[in-house]
Amino acid sequence: MTGANSQTLPTALASLQERLVGESASRRALLLMAPLIAFELLVFVIPFATLLRISVAAPSSEAVYAEGTWSLEAYSEVFGDLLAGDLLLGIVGYSFLIGTVVTVLTVVIALFYAYAIRRSSGLVKSLLLFSVVLPLLTTLVIRTYAFTPLLSPTGTINELLLSAGLLSEPIQFVPNTVGAVVGQVYIVLPYAVLAIYSVLATMDWDVVEAARDLGASRPRAVVEVVLPQAMPGIIVASVISFAWSVGAYAAPGLLSDDLTFAIYVEQLILGDLRYPTAAALSVVTMGLMLAGIGIIFAVLDRFGGEFDLA
Amino acid sequence: MSEITLDGLEKRYGETTAVEDVSVEIEDGELLCLLGPSGSGKSTTLRMIAGLETPTNGSIAIGDEDVTDLPAYERTTSTVFQDWALFPHMTVLENVAFGLKMGGVSKDERRDRAREMLERVQMAAHADEDPTTLSGGQKQRVALARSLAVNPDVLLLDEPLSNLDKRLREDMQIELREIHEDLEKTFVHVTHDQDEAFTLADRIGIMNDGELIQVGDPDEVYERPENRFIEGFLGDTNFVDASVTAATADGVRVDTELDAELVVTAADGTTPDLETGTDLTLSLRPEILSIHGVDEERADDAGVRDARVAADGGTRNAVTGTVENVVYRGSTVRYSVSVGNSSMFAERTDASTGALSAGDDVRLEWDGDDVLAFRDDGDRVMP
Repeated sequence: MTGANSQTLPTALASLQERLVGESASRRALLLMAPLIAFELLVFVIPFATLLRISVAAPSSEAVYAEGTWSLEAYSEVFGDLLAGDLLLGIVGYSFLIGTVVTVLTVVIALFYAYAIRRSSGLVKSLLLFSVVLPLLTTLVIRTYAFTPLLSPTGTINELLLSAGLLSEPIQFVPNTVGAVVGQVYIVLPYAVLAIYSVLATMDWDVVEAARDLGASRPRAVVEVVLPQAMPGIIVASVISFAWSVGAYAAPGLLSDDLTFAIYVEQLILGDLRYPTAAALSVVTMGLMLAGIGIIFAVLDRFGGEFDLA
Repeated sequence: MSEITLDGLEKRYGETTAVEDVSVEIEDGELLCLLGPSGSGKSTTLRMIAGLETPTNGSIAIGDEDVTDLPAYERTTSTVFQDWALFPHMTVLENVAFGLKMGGVSKDERRDRAREMLERVQMAAHADEDPTTLSGGQKQRVALARSLAVNPDVLLLDEPLSNLDKRLREDMQIELREIHEDLEKTFVHVTHDQDEAFTLADRIGIMNDGELIQVGDPDEVYERPENRFIEGFLGDTNFVDASVTAATADGVRVDTELDAELVVTAADGTTPDLETGTDLTLSLRPEILSIHGVDEERADDAGVRDARVAADGGTRNAVTGTVENVVYRGSTVRYSVSVGNSSMFAERTDASTGALSAGDDVRLEWDGDDVLAFRDDGDRVMP
């Protein structure tokens, strides 16, 4: 390295620290958080502000929206459609239905799975953990499409059920809501398992023994002691599953013919070029989703768990 | 009645045996301490009594009922765990009321009874606190209250005091003792600390390598340990290798690594029939040794002055050596003394008879019938 301004990393850090030490604690904290704040601005605040701006712009027949105009036309259209029932029941309702069903299934399966990992040891534990992460290493499209041969009317599941005599004729799982739900559960499950497992992993297992010692049967001990302590993980898993599944795009798109809100937004943008309507629908759906998450918090918080929002 | 009968209790994990053939009768209302080093199987034994571990073999009975196959939650035992295992998501009061809740006691009644228990352990003021904010001593009291709240027939204590500092531990020992006397319930207390066992126990069961090697009153196990392991485990001692030269009615003469021939006598005058050449290990506790500087003039010296190498018909033994180092330990002073090819330590309670220092020549003396002798296989042969 040449040049008068070149500094080695340690001296650069030292001079940086010198500057920081001079500042008050709150300013210092702000300075240290500056990169994070800049990142948030870039990837969230600015795009979201743009989205809000487009949602209150007037539609245009020449461009995707009329730049510089202000109009609530898109919102009145969205609310009109919602109130008329088609959009509400057909698309938004369907999205929230998928979101709710997927969340319930995912959290229940993830609880058992995470509990099994917590209770296992050695090779079994490694295998269980690895099998959670493994699907994340393949591309989402492939692993979602992989359900088609599994679930199709001539697929593995149907053949098994038919040959076992449990079915007289094949069931159409795909393309269907069942396929969309299964595919979406599969996508979010690893995150839910890891969220719950991370809480269970740090849990002191003696308390479960203490509960049994004090007269709780095994299932009762789990309900009284494990679940309340796992609640922070359950809440995180629920929020991830719900937010992701309401806005699901890939699984319903690949495994179902029904429209979810995300697919509809795509049609509005790429097909109809109605940017303000798409943006307004997104904002409204986000509001509904926030309300949904609020309900999740309220409900799960009642079951104990020391989850602080602050 | 809630006496506990363990019969041939065994616990194996794959190849390793944690507990092997433990049989003991724990009397109703007794406080039995299971004492042993870590890994000796004492906690596993306790956990089997609690029902938290299933025995590989053997049986457990509480009172007249065989509980071997009874799950933990149906047993009338209650455990205080080493790290107390308080429920972090409940208040102190809810913790104490938990067992009553499981027992189907109504909300108001369990609140009252839990409060009563907290008062008994002086924790009532903390009833609504989060247990994770309590100090170790406070957690210990809450755990005790929680276990007692269900009114168990048997209280099992798994080293509950080992995470407390010394002073608090000693206070809690006294308190536990009082609670035991008050409740007249059967307590089984696991500890690796012999002072704790001696403070608490009606009887002590010594465990090592998964086996219960001796059960007896505290003075019995201390003064008449069945084997060499117990003698070494219960306090400090000097082990001296010895070899029998003659076994007479007066005592057993042995040759030792101290370069001195000594006599071991039995207080009751019975001498075991030991062949010449039998290897023994003698145990000389520091409290039986008296240490004098050879230059110190003492009134009672006259009689024993020449007693070095076996007493003439008497039982007094003496060896001479050199002080290697001196450790001041507050109430006592401890001297390491090199004797022959070996080293021994002795204590004396005050330095008023003249301070000894490193390099001084000293004489160690003891009565031949205060010495314990163990065979090669560890079994005690004398007295």
